[in-house]
Amino acid sequence: MRRVLAILAGLLALVALWEGYKAVGNPDGTVLFGVRVLPRADDLSMPHVWTVVQRLGKPELTGGRPVWIVVLQACLFTLGITAVGFLVGAAVGLLLAIAMQRFRLVERGLLPYVILSQTVPLVALAPLVAGWGGTIMPPWATVAVIASYLAFFPVAVGMLRGLQSPAASGVELMRSYAAGWWRTLVKLRLPASLPYLFPALRLAGAAAVVGAVVGEISTGTRGGIGRLIIEYSREATSDPAKVYTAMLGAALLGLVVAGAVSLFELPLMRHRRHVEVVTL
Amino acid sequence: MSAVVLDKVTKVFNQGRADEVTALAEVDLTVGDGEFVSLIGPSGCGKSTLLRLIADLIEPTTGTVQVAGKDAGRARRDQDYGIAFQQAGLFEWRTVRRNVELPLELRGMGKGERKARAEEMLALVGLAEFAGHYPAQLSGGMQQRVAIARALAVQPPLLLMDEPFGALDEMTRERLQAELLGICAQTGTSTVFVTHSISEAVFLSNRVVVMSARPGRITAAIEVDLAARDEAARQSERYFEHVTAVRQALRGVPATT
Repeated sequence: MRRVLAILAGLLALVALWEGYKAVGNPDGTVLFGVRVLPRADDLSMPHVWTVVQRLGKPELTGGRPVWIVVLQACLFTLGITAVGFLVGAAVGLLLAIAMQRFRLVERGLLPYVILSQTVPLVALAPLVAGWGGTIMPPWATVAVIASYLAFFPVAVGMLRGLQSPAASGVELMRSYAAGWWRTLVKLRLPASLPYLFPALRLAGAAAVVGAVVGEISTGTRGGIGRLIIEYSREATSDPAKVYTAMLGAALLGLVVAGAVSLFELPLMRHRRHVEVVTL
Repeated sequence: MSAVVLDKVTKVFNQGRADEVTALAEVDLTVGDGEFVSLIGPSGCGKSTLLRLIADLIEPTTGTVQVAGKDAGRARRDQDYGIAFQQAGLFEWRTVRRNVELPLELRGMGKGERKARAEEMLALVGLAEFAGHYPAQLSGGMQQRVAIARALAVQPPLLLMDEPFGALDEMTRERLQAELLGICAQTGTSTVFVTHSISEAVFLSNRVVVMSARPGRITAAIEVDLAARDEAARQSERYFEHVTAVRQALRGVPATT
């Protein structure tokens, strides 16, 4: 109940900030020494929150379906791509982390490239993936590959840190039990890495959403929220509220993915709750 | 057959580097079956290193370590010993009971049997009602007791303990000492026990091995023959004589017993 209230309060604060700035901000933006330091507050750049909400209820084009249905459908399409990209990326990241933990040489050889991989601009990479992948997979799959390319990174780095987190005493204990690498992984390293895994998965979820949206745009895949953002932003001058409806959809997508990770986390991190120390 | 035989064991850390340290030099030690041997000495005398050599957690630079008549590595793989460290080292994601079950689980013991054994061991260290708690919910001393229960759970022929009672209060410490002796006597377990406490070493041991530092070596071995090991023994004259003997040995005065 308190959490629901906190979320509502957060939403209200956001709306208040938006509308507050609109009320006091300069419609042409604030320019200081030739640099615009505050954005324009006019209706074209920042439509009222209720205008955006109203726009959701109106038809997309005259006589068409209402915008909220279109946005929701696009969200579902992109959610599917995001989910595939997220799962593939998380699995690849996990395997890479395990390989890097197991073999020092792999860590030394691979980790710099893992980090390097994220410095390649996505917009440069996406057309390449589409070009190579387009011949062997459907467009949605190439977008999922792009999403997974962003998602694997936090999982690989976070999991490596997590797998290396057990204290030497724990590792020695497993050694004293004559447990080999695999059993040490299953009984000690994997459970110990969970506190590192979940924040990494949250980052990966957000990255997968970004990857899917950008991937859709740069490969020209139809049906998803990325495409919708591009289409609606073309109408921004005549219908500024419309593009914000698509952005709301993308934000919703991120929330759904983050929520899914939390659902997965709850049962696995039970021991982290109630930590009242008994002193006897 | 002896439980542990160390023959001219030397351990050098970081050999050939600037920070080379000779932790142990030419150590010979034999622990008989069912014998309780304490290792005592100043910090850095290599007593923990000696214990870890027996456990095959590290390997000797030269010399041989035999446990239960086998090479130490073989003995570790056969799980011929149970071990408890200074820090409890419990797995925080497992309940207390599941922590005690861990070595049993790795030995492939069935679920029901495992649970019963773990509960029995927890009762022994006085934590029966905390089986369902997580380690983070327990105080340091309680965690240490769980670690001892975990070491005892496999009912090993050899018990290796590295200052296991160091973090405990005096009362708990004495109670657990008595219980440890009871268990060892009952099961015929041989024990190598590292401690800082002279009185603890004398009360528990058949033999107190005194070590000196830099390089770590054994300087004296004092046989302790107390008629009984109970509360009365802690007050007896013979007990205090042995305490004095160990203290003198630690200071480098030749032993009189």
